Amino acid sequence: MSSISLRKLNKTYGALTVVHDIDLEIDDKEFIILVGPSGCGKSTTLRMIAGLEEISGGELVIGGDMVNDVPSKDRDIAMVFQNYALYPHMTVYKNMAFGLQLRKAPRDVIEQKVHEAARILDITHLLNRKPKALSGGQRQRVALGRAMVRNPAVFLLDEPLSNLDAKLRGTMRAEITKLHKRLDATFIYVTHDQIEAMTMADRIVVMSDGRIQQVDTPQNLYDRPINMFVAGFIGAPQMNMLPSVIERRGERYVAVFNGRDLPLPAHVDQSRIVPYVGKDIVVGIRPENFHELPPADIDPANMAPFEAVVDLAEPMGSEIHLNITVGEHALTVRVSPRFKAAIGSPAKLVVDTTNMQLFDKETQRSILY
Amino acid sequence: MQWLREMWTKEGPGISKNAPKKTGLALFGQTMAREGWEMVKLNILFILAALFIVTIPAAVAATARICLTHVEDRNTYLLRDFCEAFTRYFWRATAWGLGFGAAIGLGAYAVITYAAIARDNVLLVLPLMTAVVVTVFLGVLACHLLVLMVMRNLPALTLLRLAAIASFMRPLPVMAAMLFVAALWLAHILLYPVSVFMPAAFNFSLGMFAIVFSAHRAAETVLDLPPEPTRSDLKPEAGQAKHI
Repeated sequence: MSSISLRKLNKTYGALTVVHDIDLEIDDKEFIILVGPSGCGKSTTLRMIAGLEEISGGELVIGGDMVNDVPSKDRDIAMVFQNYALYPHMTVYKNMAFGLQLRKAPRDVIEQKVHEAARILDITHLLNRKPKALSGGQRQRVALGRAMVRNPAVFLLDEPLSNLDAKLRGTMRAEITKLHKRLDATFIYVTHDQIEAMTMADRIVVMSDGRIQQVDTPQNLYDRPINMFVAGFIGAPQMNMLPSVIERRGERYVAVFNGRDLPLPAHVDQSRIVPYVGKDIVVGIRPENFHELPPADIDPANMAPFEAVVDLAEPMGSEIHLNITVGEHALTVRVSPRFKAAIGSPAKLVVDTTNMQLFDKETQRSILY
Repeated sequence: MQWLREMWTKEGPGISKNAPKKTGLALFGQTMAREGWEMVKLNILFILAALFIVTIPAAVAATARICLTHVEDRNTYLLRDFCEAFTRYFWRATAWGLGFGAAIGLGAYAVITYAAIARDNVLLVLPLMTAVVVTVFLGVLACHLLVLMVMRNLPALTLLRLAAIASFMRPLPVMAAMLFVAALWLAHILLYPVSVFMPAAFNFSLGMFAIVFSAHRAAETVLDLPPEPTRSDLKPEAGQAKHI
C-alpha cells in the first residue's frame, strides 16, 4: 500500500508561511500532479513528502504510517530532480547502482536490477558512460532509472522535464505515463506546465500562494473550475474574463458585457443566479467557444453575435489565435486557419455560451459550483 | 564560477544508440580517451600490487582483467575488481608467469648468444633467426594466454592450446601491441628525466590495454570454436572405421 495523506501540512520559514495547512489524500498507484505558478509551494510540498524539508506542522502519512520524523532513506520513496542530480564522476551504471550499494544489496541483485531498468528505459548502451557525454533526455532517463531500481512505493518527480526542449518534452511525457502504468506505483509530479498536468495526471492539484485551489481530474478542472485562478491557469490560451452584469430577459437570464447580451445556458441552476441579478460578476469564456459561423451542433439559444476589432493574428498552423478588442477589453479567440481578418478591422464572430463560467467579482469563486 | 558548475552540468552531445561503432585504431583511441583517468588509477594500483616482486604475475593478470572490461565496454569497480582478480588469478598467473618467464628468458639468452657468435660465423644466422622467431612467438603466445585466462576459466592444457591457435591465427596485432609497449618504454628512456612521470602514470596500464585490445578478437574467435569431441561423443562404430 502506498497511499499518502497530507493532513493540515504546513511549512514556515520564520514568520513566513509558504505552505498553508494542506489537506490531500493520494490514492495508491495514482498519478497526481501538483501544478501552479512559481512560488506557489508545490516543490516545498513535494520536498516535505520526500523528507528533504522539515515539516513545520500537520501530519504526513505514507502507507498508514506517520512519517513526519522518519528520515528520507526509510520512507520507501525515490525522487527525480529537475536538474537530474547525477553524480558526474560516476558512470551511468554506478549512478543507478549507488542507492542499492548503500543498502548493501548483493552484487548479482544490483546487476540484475540495473540492467532491467536500463532495458526498460532503453539506456543499456549508456551504462558505461559518464553523464557529461549524455544529452538532457538521456540524463533524465538515467535519473528515472536510478529511482526505478529501488522499486519504491512512491515516485516523486520535481519538474523533471523543464530543462528539455519542447519536442523532447513531448516524447518524455509519453514515456513517463507509460512508465507509471508499467511500474504500478504512486507518482507525485510537480510542474508549472499545465499541458504536462493535463496530459499525464489522473488528478491535478492546482496550487497558489501555498494553498490548494482545486483537486480534480483534468477534464473536470477544465470544464468546472472552482475559481478564477484555476479557470485562468488551466487551458491555453487562457480563459477570457469579461466583467459583466446579470440581467433578466423574460424567462431567461443574460450576462451583459459591454452592451452585448450573452445568454446563460438553460442547464445552469437558476437558484445560484438569482442572488446575482443586477450585480457585477465576471464571465469566463474559453477561446475555442468563439466561432466564425454558428456550429450546427450547438443550441441556437446559447449562441450570441459577438463583434470585435482585430488587434493581432497569431497563425499556429492548425488554427489562428486572434487577439481582439471589445472597448477596453482584450480577448483571445481561436478561429480556423482560413479566417480572413485585417488588423484593425472588425471581426463578426459568434460566441457559444454553453460552457460559460460565472465568477463572483469579490470572492473570485465560481457561482455555478 | 558558472564555468566550474557548467563543467559538470552542461548538456553533452548525446550518444546515439544506432551510431556505427568504431573499430581498429579509432576504437583504441576512443576507449583510451574515455578511460584515461581510470588507466592512471589502474597504473598506480599495478605498481602498488607489484611492489613485492613475487606478486608481479598476479598484478599483471589483475591489470589485464580490468583492461578487458574497458575493451568490452563493461562497467567495473576498479579497486574491488582489481583485488578480486588479484586473488583469483594469483597462483595461475604465478605459475604461467614463471613458466613463460623462463622460456622467454631462455629464448632471449639464445638470441644474444647466437647474435654474438653469428658476427664471426655466418652459418649461425639460421639458428639466430630461429631463436628470434621462437622468442617472439613465445611472447605472442604469452599475451594470448594471459587474455584467455582472464576471459574464461579453462584447464591449463586447453588454455595453452587455444592460445597457440590464436597466436597462429592473428599474431600481427599482438606483435604491434608489443612494439607499442616497447615504444612507450623507449620514449621514457630517451626523454628521461622529463618522462619520469610515464611509468607512474600510464606505462603499465596503457601497455596492458594495448595488449588486451590486440589479442581480444583472436581470443573471442578461439573461444567460439566447438570443443574437441571426447571419447564418449564418438559413435560406437567409429573405432572400426577404416581409412580409405
